[in-house]
Amino acid sequence: MGLLKTHLYDEHVKLGGKIVPFAGWEMPVQYTGVKDEVLAVRQHVGMFDVGHMGEFFVEGPDAIKFVDYMMCNDFIGAGPNKAVYSPLCRENGTVVDDHICYKVNENFVLICVNASNMQKDWEWFNKHVSKFNCKLTNKSDDFSLIALQGPKTEEILKKSGLLPEGDFPYYSVREHKWNGEKLIVTRTGYTGEDGVELFCSHTMVKKMWAKFIELGVTPCGLASRDVLRLEVCFPLYGHELNDEITPLDAALKWTVKLNKPDFMGKAALATYQPRFQLVKLLVNGAVPRDGYTVVNADGEPIGKVSSGTHSVMLNKGIAEALIDITKMPKDKKFAINIRNKNYEAIYQTKAFVTGGHK
Amino acid sequence: MSTKILDNLKYTQDHEWALVEGDTVTMGVTDFAQSSLGDIVFIELPAEGTAVTKGGACGVIESIKSVSDICSPVTGKVIAANRDVEGKPESTNTDPYGSWLIKIKVSNMSEINDLMNASQYQAHCDSAH
Repeated sequence: MGLLKTHLYDEHVKLGGKIVPFAGWEMPVQYTGVKDEVLAVRQHVGMFDVGHMGEFFVEGPDAIKFVDYMMCNDFIGAGPNKAVYSPLCRENGTVVDDHICYKVNENFVLICVNASNMQKDWEWFNKHVSKFNCKLTNKSDDFSLIALQGPKTEEILKKSGLLPEGDFPYYSVREHKWNGEKLIVTRTGYTGEDGVELFCSHTMVKKMWAKFIELGVTPCGLASRDVLRLEVCFPLYGHELNDEITPLDAALKWTVKLNKPDFMGKAALATYQPRFQLVKLLVNGAVPRDGYTVVNADGEPIGKVSSGTHSVMLNKGIAEALIDITKMPKDKKFAINIRNKNYEAIYQTKAFVTGGHK
Repeated sequence: MSTKILDNLKYTQDHEWALVEGDTVTMGVTDFAQSSLGDIVFIELPAEGTAVTKGGACGVIESIKSVSDICSPVTGKVIAANRDVEGKPESTNTDPYGSWLIKIKVSNMSEINDLMNASQYQAHCDSAH
């Protein structure tokens, strides 16, 4: 099967974007450069074509109940028009995917899933929906998606007539209209900055992209998106999360609401003994990469880097690593083996960068 | 997108440049290489006295997203390494031909003939697009 193209593909090529295959799609990895793009998002405003991501609609009286049952985080308890991030677990607590679910209204939930897991997620939701009074539809082919991210997001939305009226806090969702056509605007993103994600039609997305370019928004590729999310320690499926481990192995205990009456994987997660601890490590003078071995003060292997890169904001190496929980060093002394040399890796308790989201 | 190629240099298939002066080769990475790599954030060069072989790895260059070997254009011995560039790797982006990486004393001068000249290298870059 050939690679898929989003409806903004021609725009990426026109703007000089470097195109790479990603999760079955041809996506821009960068335009002018990763550094420029990270800085644009942290200091001004940037935009990402994330039209490759999957969108499912859940509609009907049990929509919220069904989504709440499928996720380990609390969806019922979230207020109206709120968004909730959660891993999606199996009966045994292992992770199918992670996703954001949006309470568009009492009878309508939008689920946004990773492109690489879309088919797997679709099958998983379908397997369990029949016990609930709601309809599940895969809308991935109908939606384009732009993430507009950075401290100037609101200014751009105002100038382009896309800012929903009234209160519009972080992690909320609004139905909106632009030039008479409906779209869904959410105050979410994957950068830690203020920002929105705009779920819209393929015709609207082209007009929106052009409008944002005209307003001086910096187009950004997948490489800067990965640096941005790792700087603020947002997990990425396939790295911090996978089919073999549970949210409790990946520093996501805060998403596992064992006080909920019931949810998929609850029984297993209630008694689960974590195998790993996810740690944040800072490295001077080298760049840690995915798969590198983490060692203790005696040089003994204790885990692996799940994500590593060079932080643009800190100008240092940053990594998240899954450490064998039985080998967690009490002295919190870590090193990362890079080309047969151990580089000191400084244990961090907080995210490397504090995003400015509202 | 045009790539900058200097007439007085020799080139490798792996996008290193080489300045040949007597039995000494000064090498770095080309404009094409730096542009393909993107923002360069780390460079590691060998110690003086290290033996290097033609086409063999003699250092590491990393951009934000990638790790690549620096390959020696010739066989010989490292007589100098540019520690300023190690400390300021981004200079390779802004001035690839000014940012030399290592100087090598060449052990077999006939290997110089295997390197490409500017027009051959231009064709090599064109075919890579």
